[in-house]
Amino acid sequence: MIEVKGIRKRFGNLEVLKGIDLKINKGDVVAILGPSGSGKTTLLRCMNFLEKCDEGQMIFDDEEFAMASVSNKKIHEIRNKTAFVFQSFNLFANKTALENVTLGLKVAKKINKAEADEIGKKMLDKVGLEDKYNAYPSQLSGGQQQRVAIARALAGNPEIIYFDEPTSALDPELIGEVLRVIKELADEQMTMLVVTHEMNFARHISNRVVFMENGSILENCETDKFFNNRTNERIRSFIANIMQKGE
Amino acid sequence: MSILKLLADSFMRILLPGLRVTIPLTLISFVLSLIIGTITALVQFANIRFLKTLARFYIWVIRGTPLLIQLFVVFYGLPNVGIVIDPLPAAIIVFSINEGAYSAETIRGALESIPKGQIEAGYCCGLNFLQVMWHIVLPQAFRVAFPSLANSLIAMVKNTSLAANITVMEMFMVTQQIVARTYQALALYLELAFIYLMISTILTKLQTYLEGRFNERGIQR
Repeated sequence: MIEVKGIRKRFGNLEVLKGIDLKINKGDVVAILGPSGSGKTTLLRCMNFLEKCDEGQMIFDDEEFAMASVSNKKIHEIRNKTAFVFQSFNLFANKTALENVTLGLKVAKKINKAEADEIGKKMLDKVGLEDKYNAYPSQLSGGQQQRVAIARALAGNPEIIYFDEPTSALDPELIGEVLRVIKELADEQMTMLVVTHEMNFARHISNRVVFMENGSILENCETDKFFNNRTNERIRSFIANIMQKGE
Repeated sequence: MSILKLLADSFMRILLPGLRVTIPLTLISFVLSLIIGTITALVQFANIRFLKTLARFYIWVIRGTPLLIQLFVVFYGLPNVGIVIDPLPAAIIVFSINEGAYSAETIRGALESIPKGQIEAGYCCGLNFLQVMWHIVLPQAFRVAFPSLANSLIAMVKNTSLAANITVMEMFMVTQQIVARTYQALALYLELAFIYLMISTILTKLQTYLEGRFNERGIQR
């Protein structure tokens, strides 16, 4: 469905991504794990062109192109088929929950208001916010804001959703409600690429795990195989370390 | 008391050009200055290289020269190169270009205060730069900039008295003419000052009211 080859990215002298190859099939839920500063978020941002990588090829819907020299038109086209959920929600502060969900439909996809509102309400219902249509982001809890952001991502009917640490900015008691929504999406075969620090989430929801360190992919395998890893010392210690912290 | 009678008689004669000239001159110039300021701020925010240089040059020149001299250049100067502009249009042009340079900086600061994440989220929803600006950034930036812009509006009402120097028949000009006939400079100029004070007071109340409305709408972060 989407494949990238040889993504390289440097910020000044620091090479953040050192040649990343990654293929995601339809219906995959891929968890990207790894220590801080390993380039997980940068990879995700490069894949949606929020950062422009220095080198790399992308194959999206059977069409291959160079990511560094991609046209704005192509970026626009890809963004209309993908969605992004941010660590800090990034809801539009001047819009209600419903308007947050429908803005892209109305403005980018030119869907009329009545139809967009219908889709928007359906998406908010889906994430359990049927009573918050008219609430502004400042009136919502972090967990609710992130669920609005997920509804916003779903509204455009994307082929893939990128999640950048969707629960890292949340209070511990609010993490569950967001993870539940993501799990439901996984059950519905939504294709997702999720950067996360939630080991249990990765273990129980993803079907594949990508482990990154220092800008490279150290391991890319099925989830069971990853968590039962007996051979790679670095991965074993990473898992043990995180598990020890009691998640 | 003849002074009281003079004040009463002259009140409407001063206020009328206020309503007919000073206030329209202010409002038209202010709206134009907002458009100029917003565009000037946007080209800097968007980092369009050539236009950004042009914008910085414009702001540098306008903020660095006196308003009165700008009025003289346009009204008395331009006829030397064959461009003759009537007093009122000349005043509108100068006031809007002058205020545009200041509001550009106010608006640019407000644009930069909007979290970058919302802009990225807008792009991810498939919006382009102008759509992101129009639907997400500008409405919020306007709210941030509103108190300083309202401040500028009040300053502008008073600055329009400079237009008397290029023969615009606004309140100051009319008062000067009455003084020339009656020699009651103190009373009449105080009366004029009082009328400016009234207009400013109304605008200040309006500002407070509108800020309250914004807060009701709950769009504060």
